Amino acid sequence: MKKNIRARLAMLAFSLLLAACAAPVTRVEVGEVTVGKRMAVKVDAAWNQFGGGLTAGIPTWTMEGITIDALRFYTDVKDGQTFGPANPPKGRQPLIFKAAMQPADIVALFQSLQTQDGSSFTLDKLEPTEFLGGTGFRFEYSTIRKVDEVPLKGVAYGRVRDGELFLVSYSAPRLVFFPRYQSRVESLIRSVSLRG
Amino acid sequence: MKRRALIGCAQCLALSGLLGPAASRAQGSWLAPPRFERPDVATDEGGLWAMMDREETRLRRSPFLVRDAALQKYLQDMACKLAGSHCPDVRVYPVRTPFFNASMAPNGMMQVWTGLLLRVDNEAQLAAVIGHEIGHYMQRHTLERLRDVKSRSAFGMFLGMFGLVGLVGQMATLAGAFGFSRDQERQADQIGLALMRQAGYDTHEAPKVWDNLRLELAAVHGGDPSLRNPLFASHPGSAERGEKLRELSAGDEAGYVGEAEHRRALLGLQAQMLEDELKRGQTGETLALLGRLIERQPERADLLYSRGEARRLRAADGDLDQALADFQRAIAVGSEPPEVYRSLGYLLRSRDDAEHAREAFGRYVEKAPAAPDVALIKSFL
Repeated sequence: MKKNIRARLAMLAFSLLLAACAAPVTRVEVGEVTVGKRMAVKVDAAWNQFGGGLTAGIPTWTMEGITIDALRFYTDVKDGQTFGPANPPKGRQPLIFKAAMQPADIVALFQSLQTQDGSSFTLDKLEPTEFLGGTGFRFEYSTIRKVDEVPLKGVAYGRVRDGELFLVSYSAPRLVFFPRYQSRVESLIRSVSLRG
Repeated sequence: MKRRALIGCAQCLALSGLLGPAASRAQGSWLAPPRFERPDVATDEGGLWAMMDREETRLRRSPFLVRDAALQKYLQDMACKLAGSHCPDVRVYPVRTPFFNASMAPNGMMQVWTGLLLRVDNEAQLAAVIGHEIGHYMQRHTLERLRDVKSRSAFGMFLGMFGLVGLVGQMATLAGAFGFSRDQERQADQIGLALMRQAGYDTHEAPKVWDNLRLELAAVHGGDPSLRNPLFASHPGSAERGEKLRELSAGDEAGYVGEAEHRRALLGLQAQMLEDELKRGQTGETLALLGRLIERQPERADLLYSRGEARRLRAADGDLDQALADFQRAIAVGSEPPEVYRSLGYLLRSRDDAEHAREAFGRYVEKAPAAPDVALIKSFL
């Protein structure tokens, strides 16, 4: 089973190789890093940051490679702005964030983004939590990626502050990579603060 | 092999529309080709089958395969009724994907997506789509397309050597390939209708599949995508397909519709199909679909809840009032899903009606104590 999953991941990695070549990759050094306009993140181990078409403009970090694990920062999303890629594919209704949205509505936006390609999405847990110095929400989810049928596990923290949405999510293959990085990632997310 | 090609060609003539609707109607007794033998692996057809065999092995293990024995049997029996002597070679797999689609591979593997199952009103409408796919199989369209694409790509590369003029030629070659595909789709529609007729299904249901799809396409963000670039569309437009099928079925007697049987077969799958539809986040299309389904089954609380939730999430002008009416109606009808109370709670909370919101959230926690979002909901109580 593991061998099978590895083979699929390798296939996916290969199929995205050309696109990845065009995407700028930078190293995220240990220390305090600013993501987006004002999200300050305390980094305790180096990450790779992807840019360009593969990430659709969402700052995305990875430990193992973008086809395996992805830490995504949705920052400074204002009322009426599109959640996720700024230019959704033609014919797709854009996913619009509204400042009055409640946590469940934001989770619904997030899951619509994840399932656009036919991937499955199951919400495993949704609870209130401290985030960005106030009450936000945390959710865990499971998905099966349509393209290669790899089961992934994910966790995300979100909060609407002064009418703007801040959401950080991490997902990785369920069996090995997610448990390997979950606690490190969650302490990184909990360390996030806003400047200004 | 030659004999099979000859039979195939005779069917092309009979079904191409050249003989007109009256002659095509006479194809109610359409003669299907004999069962196919496994092609030699050294041929292009054998290679295609081998590739599809591998895909089928993957599909059998796929987490997206709907493992509902009763539903699988229902679909398989239906395909058998339509495929006649080819029945032992056709294998139907329901696949969890919330889009309108079915496909048939040349080795006999058919996929039916849950989005299609949700959208058809009865067994006869589903038979029109499954019959269409069997039509592709019987005419060996995939092989035809493979050969067509191979010859066109070689020709296109040759044209590419002539600069801009060659580029225009390449575009024309590509458009020709889509035209070829559209002809195959028209042919498969007509064979599907003939197979429905032979199996005793009501052929008047076939055009309704496309009428219904048009309603949803009209609600797609930015307008009907099939109207945007008709030159390169690989399928004829749904309006054309509906009209042609209506014309071809006009003289047929009524047949088996199977609405209750279809509903029964999908009973265990309804909640998941509706949830997957909502998750798409394409509210316009979802509301067009649910509006149509509710018109047929106004007493179904799950449909009312889903429509209310789609409206609540969109929250455009008047949506919240209509969502509230749907939630209240779902509760009044009875057998409502617990989620209706959660959605009602969120709606009332957004209107600062804290007392009634708490009451609704309380009912949700009471009815779904193990729900994944119970911790958050309890924080509102």
